Amino acid sequence: MNHLIIDKEEWDRFLEKLLVSHVVFAAISDEFGQDYELIQHNNIAAITYNKPKPSTPLKSFFLPVLENVTSGGPPGKPRVIIGTPNCDIEGLKLLDEIYLDKDFMDIFYSQRRENTILISSDCFGIQEHCHCLSYNITPYATGTADLAIISLNGKIIIRIISGKGENFVKDIPASSSADTAKLLSSIEKEHLMTETSLKAANKGLPDSVTTGKLVRDAGEEVWKKHSARCVSCGACTTICPTCTCFLLIDKPGFEKVKQMDACQYPGFERVAGGEDALHELHNRFRNRYMCKYAWKSAKFRSTACTGCGRCIEACIGKINKNEIFMELAKS
Amino acid sequence: MMVYDKNIYKPLKAKLIEVIEESPLIKTFVLIPEHEFSFKTGQFIELSVDGIGEAPFTPSSSPQITDRLEVTVMKTGYVTEYMHNLKPGAYMGIRGPYGRGYPVESFFGKEVLILGGGCGLAPIRSLLYALEHIKDNLEKVILCYGSKTPSDCIYKPLFARLNSIEKFEAYRTVDKAEEGWNESVGVATKLLDKVKVNIEKSIAVVCGPPVMMKFGTLRILEMGYKDEQIYLSMEKNMSCGLGKCGHCMMGEYFVCKDGPVFTYDELKNTPDIWK
Repeated sequence: MNHLIIDKEEWDRFLEKLLVSHVVFAAISDEFGQDYELIQHNNIAAITYNKPKPSTPLKSFFLPVLENVTSGGPPGKPRVIIGTPNCDIEGLKLLDEIYLDKDFMDIFYSQRRENTILISSDCFGIQEHCHCLSYNITPYATGTADLAIISLNGKIIIRIISGKGENFVKDIPASSSADTAKLLSSIEKEHLMTETSLKAANKGLPDSVTTGKLVRDAGEEVWKKHSARCVSCGACTTICPTCTCFLLIDKPGFEKVKQMDACQYPGFERVAGGEDALHELHNRFRNRYMCKYAWKSAKFRSTACTGCGRCIEACIGKINKNEIFMELAKS
Repeated sequence: MMVYDKNIYKPLKAKLIEVIEESPLIKTFVLIPEHEFSFKTGQFIELSVDGIGEAPFTPSSSPQITDRLEVTVMKTGYVTEYMHNLKPGAYMGIRGPYGRGYPVESFFGKEVLILGGGCGLAPIRSLLYALEHIKDNLEKVILCYGSKTPSDCIYKPLFARLNSIEKFEAYRTVDKAEEGWNESVGVATKLLDKVKVNIEKSIAVVCGPPVMMKFGTLRILEMGYKDEQIYLSMEKNMSCGLGKCGHCMMGEYFVCKDGPVFTYDELKNTPDIWK
């Protein structure tokens, strides 16, 4: 894989110029955490590199919570997203399988994908609930994104992943003072340290295939017990980078509005006449894990749980799915 | 802007030219789509009332007819209540056709046993038209249909017509008879006792309310049909019809895209299929 090493000041100047022709979003940290912000001249220097992970999942850039899908206009300025961790990049693969499906391609999703340069950020270090490696996802991107970026010792190291990415950075002058071998070796050490931390933090957590078997085999009493604290708020699905269930709502003039939905909401599967296979809370609760670890993994090539840990952070009932799976693995 | 012509969410307008009252709760809507519209029998469409909502239905008309479409709708919820209030001249929206229908070409040389109940006769009527079209290639077609009462039985003239077609047999039953009813009384599966089929050279189709689907399938299995000889038309909440919105997920299948027609063999290991 090719690398481009540039001086940090050169990169910031490149971003400054980019604002004329592109809409740029990047991860920025503050006292409340880290999230994507619209980049303007005054916050280029505040962009956060190498750190997991923005609160907002990447899906929000491609699948808005609410959108009119019958009268939307053509896409605007090309868009650049900087600082996406690899868990979200891997999650995008599943969205691509669903929304770029050759039988029924969603033109709105497709145009946003084509119109976006995706610059992933390597994770140096982990957050409390990060567990990507348990599901065979590395904390650094090697595919699907256009570029991966690392900030180190006053340099910006760019790993070129796609042809689109290569073309995007082709005019940035490479740093004349970079010790490439030393920088790449430092990055490799950071990757190793991050992977070691992930392994240590998630000792005993079953991999996704084993988890699939565990959730398939778990009896009703397991789901009743663990769903007791669930309030069906849908925070877990809303924050999940791969949950994209939606509802089509009719508006006058045969217009349709697509609105994000969640299998945790009562009535998700209700049909006219009242039958509802997911009427009971524990069935809805089980449905999410079956969908993630048993059904989608059988149906699609891509993973439906990237180990980002956001659902654990977001749960107001303090339900930790990893604790459930470790308990199931022990029993 | 050409790209927006490929918009999968955009419905095609269709003019409602006739509303046929089939039973107190069931009406058939005869529609003329703005453009030619073709479907395979067993596939479904998303039919919408402007500004109100959309729901999935399998057309009840012949798949050979492409300039008009008939959809039979039971009044059972919010959207269907609005549909039942529509008058000829109104415009409805159509998206589709979606999903996998009946593989009628694989029925060649076979006897087709069809078990239907209630509004399940709507997709079956379309299948019967398709089978009539290829009857020279079939051995026999037997329809066993049950409704709650004689007045709930839809497409009344259909049965006499079917019985007049060579190779076709049609039987009806009702849960509760009314005065003048001289056909069977009892659940639809009881009709299966009187049919003569060569199971080796036969396939079975089941379409109807969930409880009938369950007990009908079990009875057909008891008769000796193999799992892969039984075709089920499944019903789920299908919001998009495109294999995206997730509402109709049943195990590893999206009913809207991988179905709605499945063999029992494909579904038998999926939990809660009769719910």
